[in-house]
Amino acid sequence: MSKDPFKTRLEIAKKKVDKRNSNSKNLNPSPIGNAFKLSTELVSAVAVGTIIGFILDKTFGTKPWLILIFFFVGVVAGIANVIRSAKNMQK
Amino acid sequence: MAANPMNQFEVYRIGPEIKIGTFDISFTNASLFMIVSSFAILFIFNLGSKKKSVIPNKIQLLAELSYSFVAKMISDTAGSKARPYFAFIFSLFMFVLFCNMFGMIPYTFTVTSHIIVTFMLAAFIFIGVTIIGFIKHGFGYLKLFVPSGVPIVLLPLIVVIEIISYLSRPISLSVRLFANMMAGHTMMKVFGGFVVSLGIVGGWLPLSFSVALTGLEILVAFLQAYVFAILTCIYLNDALNLHH
Repeated sequence: MSKDPFKTRLEIAKKKVDKRNSNSKNLNPSPIGNAFKLSTELVSAVAVGTIIGFILDKTFGTKPWLILIFFFVGVVAGIANVIRSAKNMQK
Repeated sequence: MAANPMNQFEVYRIGPEIKIGTFDISFTNASLFMIVSSFAILFIFNLGSKKKSVIPNKIQLLAELSYSFVAKMISDTAGSKARPYFAFIFSLFMFVLFCNMFGMIPYTFTVTSHIIVTFMLAAFIFIGVTIIGFIKHGFGYLKLFVPSGVPIVLLPLIVVIEIISYLSRPISLSVRLFANMMAGHTMMKVFGGFVVSLGIVGGWLPLSFSVALTGLEILVAFLQAYVFAILTCIYLNDALNLHH
């Protein structure tokens, strides 16, 4: 009996922590936080798409076209964002 | 007292005007409250970690609980690889939380209700996470923009969409915090104005709303700090463990 009881207890506690860490993979922030997250993700992607389109239009002088295209690409990116984080929530 | 509900968000100078070139770097009420919340954090955690007793007193308990709360959040979302970034995420969470909570005290200024503050925090996180990703994976980090199993015809479109959704991260992160704080504080001020203008006869209903809203705002203040920190963890996770 070379081990002192404290070390044994420490090992047991460490194993418990490892076990808890491995099976508590699901992250569970409250639903209201999730709702805010989804809404801003959709809006911000649209905003970024529009801004990129606006800048590209300015540099290339193709006034209305790129901003239109990038607006819709931004909408698609926003919807993809929302779907992705909704999938993450369900995991 | 002005009745305008947006008056509370006004930034004004305290003390002399300081200028470097064309930049105005005077000390404002926003800087004052950032310093106040930073010092409050330092004070509480110094006091909490000074006496390491086995049976903790209240302040030590507070410090230990918040430590384990953030540690659990990081290990749940980003895994053990994110341990070295604990200090950063902890200070970020505490700073946002204390700024939000100081804003709940009447006559104080809410630092996080200004988009420039939240956007600076979010841009700092975004740039930092991108640099970490490139250090850990080199140019392989660009694989984040190319999901596997996509037909070659659709690839240019998908890459553009992925880049836009990557660039939208700091904006969604900052707008969320800013909009929640500003909307909540404006709403409280508006209901407070109703109490005054309806007087002793009809003022009871908006007064009860105000009380309920204060509770809700404290919840939102905590929740937004939590969401800010947890999303930082998620972005960090994307950069550290590249699987898409």
